[in-house]
Amino acid sequence: MMKYQYLAVIFVIIMLPISLVFSAYINAQVDTLDLQISYDTKLDNTTYDAIKAFQLNTVNSSTSDIVNSKIKDIEAAANSFFTSLANNFKMEGYNSETLQEFVPALVFTLYDGFYIYSPFENTLDDETKSKLPANATYTGGEEVTGLKPYIYYSCRYVKGSMDVTITYSLDNYITIQGYDQNGKGINDAGYVLDDSLLYNSTTGEVRYRGITITSELQLREYVGDTEYAYVKINGVKYYRNANTNTWFTITNGKINQVATPFRNEDNDMGYRYYKEAYEFKERLKNYGITNLRSSDAVGVQEVQDVDGNIIYSFVDSDNKIFDFNKIEEPDSNFNNHRMAVIRYVIESNLSIALSNYNNYGTGTYEFRMPKLAEEDWARILDNVCLVSFLQGLSIGGKIYNGYSVINNNKNEEVVTENAIYIVENARIKNSTYHRVTHKGLENMVNTTTSRGVFNIDFERKSIGSTTSETTWYFYPHWDLGCYTCYVAQTNTENSINNIYEYLDGLSNKTLAKLYYTALGRERYSMYKVFRNPEEHVNAFKE
Amino acid sequence: MGDSLMTIIAIVLAAILMFVFPLMSMSDRTDDISQLTVKTATTEFVDKVRTTGRLSIDDYAAFEQEIAATGNTYDIEMEAKILDENPGKKTTQASSTRIGENVSYSMYTSQILDILSSNNEGTSKVLALKEGDMFSTSVRNTNTTLSQQLKNFFYTVAGNDTYTIAAEHGGYVTANGSGN
Repeated sequence: MMKYQYLAVIFVIIMLPISLVFSAYINAQVDTLDLQISYDTKLDNTTYDAIKAFQLNTVNSSTSDIVNSKIKDIEAAANSFFTSLANNFKMEGYNSETLQEFVPALVFTLYDGFYIYSPFENTLDDETKSKLPANATYTGGEEVTGLKPYIYYSCRYVKGSMDVTITYSLDNYITIQGYDQNGKGINDAGYVLDDSLLYNSTTGEVRYRGITITSELQLREYVGDTEYAYVKINGVKYYRNANTNTWFTITNGKINQVATPFRNEDNDMGYRYYKEAYEFKERLKNYGITNLRSSDAVGVQEVQDVDGNIIYSFVDSDNKIFDFNKIEEPDSNFNNHRMAVIRYVIESNLSIALSNYNNYGTGTYEFRMPKLAEEDWARILDNVCLVSFLQGLSIGGKIYNGYSVINNNKNEEVVTENAIYIVENARIKNSTYHRVTHKGLENMVNTTTSRGVFNIDFERKSIGSTTSETTWYFYPHWDLGCYTCYVAQTNTENSINNIYEYLDGLSNKTLAKLYYTALGRERYSMYKVFRNPEEHVNAFKE
Repeated sequence: MGDSLMTIIAIVLAAILMFVFPLMSMSDRTDDISQLTVKTATTEFVDKVRTTGRLSIDDYAAFEQEIAATGNTYDIEMEAKILDENPGKKTTQASSTRIGENVSYSMYTSQILDILSSNNEGTSKVLALKEGDMFSTSVRNTNTTLSQQLKNFFYTVAGNDTYTIAAEHGGYVTANGSGN
């Protein structure tokens, strides 16, 4: 009679341990995956913190585009990365040196190249070694972690007697060095723009996409609570004090007077951008650069996606790179080629840096570069960003190996197509600014009072008082963001991939004119390594 | 008589021990796995919105489908906190030694879905967010899972309105999602 109970009890005695072990196993797996996703999120947050530090440092500094200042800002961003890493991963107390063991590389992509922050061997030549003082803080052959030399997004092309290296950037600006089709030396740089760009050298008229680009009224901006007329040349803003007709700049939060005044005239930076792009195109034709095809590229083969499919082949695709028809639009041959070059350069340099990392790491874990997803590449190629890698942390059943890509949307490095906002009425204090894709914006603006403004000019800035310790905060533009297109994007065209096509499609050309003028002005006013800064600034002086 | 009663009790006990116990144990594991799937899917969904600044109807549908594949029904609640810097700007403009406070206002599931599913021509099916906004999602099951049913039946500890599978995730949007 009791045999049912016996059977049941025996069954339970067998089943219970099995069930317990099974449950423990599942829980361990759940915990591992749980940790992995929480680490992914934490890495995203850490990377964002580093980007935020970079933004704060660059927006408040007018010298942030100069190389040594940029290196300083990037190193500061890397430091905030490690501080934030320690906080997020509950590793407070560890110094960045310990944490560096888990971070094989940080990649800071910039306008025309990128920096890799990773360990390397500090090799010194014999002369340097012999001159090192006894108490030097560094020695030869030492392993240090820091920024490696800047790597440009460049590619070499050989065609007949032409042998050039072209450096690409995040927009349509290129730098060319080498020998042209006649074997003559070239050292040139400029923007490439659509075929519709025309310049009449007798009348001086510039037309772009059917729109006449002219100079615009002097730009005005607040410093503290006074509005000044200003001109931005090679990345630096010069403000005009109307009472004394003197000009000043703000460097590191302090006001500096400029000796020779600038010409007090309309702003023609936008006009110059298009005019010089036209002249650049003519020069490219003379050099024979316009005949280059992707197969003329030397030393590059193809770019593959995560699954090993070929996305872009330099060898097989025989596209004319500089086909000027719609060259600045997202899907042009030029842009596809440019992005393939950038991706190739980053990928090849990064995989070398990461595989070398195993030589420096003290752990037993062998690091492998994770494959970056297509959507992450799209973001890397779209704007200045930080790519961080984290590996070697134990997460239960396995070792964590992850990466994160975060864009920097507010920077002085590049003027992207969506960095221009339109102020409805630039002549009054509290006007409204809009995104270009605000529905019906073309009928709300006009060419006399409205103006396109670079997005970081709406950010808060600070300036130190000369007499006390007080810091004054101010907004260069007092305009407020539109609630239906800037704050919440409920009244915008959100599915636009090609802003040029969108603007060309509007029957009212006012918006297009404002936008193209502002885009040209801001791109032309940016700091460019290629220019001779002194000569360039002097060209605008009285 | 006493013997047959004992037999019946013994059979019932044996049935419970041999049948219900493994069933409960298995259904508990199933819920664990569902929980994991839902949590992973939610985190990935939110992190994608956060790092791209865009939420499209396709992403949302894919997310819905992924969690529905666990065999349960879920209640998805989304919230987008839209950052408004204009009030803070006014404070600083009035007194330049002060940094004003930013304000944010929320859009909830129904408003977000309204934007995503609007079918009128010319309206977008993308919710675009900007850097500084916050996005969060919480998911919980609405059906009673097998494990819940069994538990309710045997020890009635779980009330009818409780859930066993739940996931939450949220954070700052780090990218500007608009095409422009």
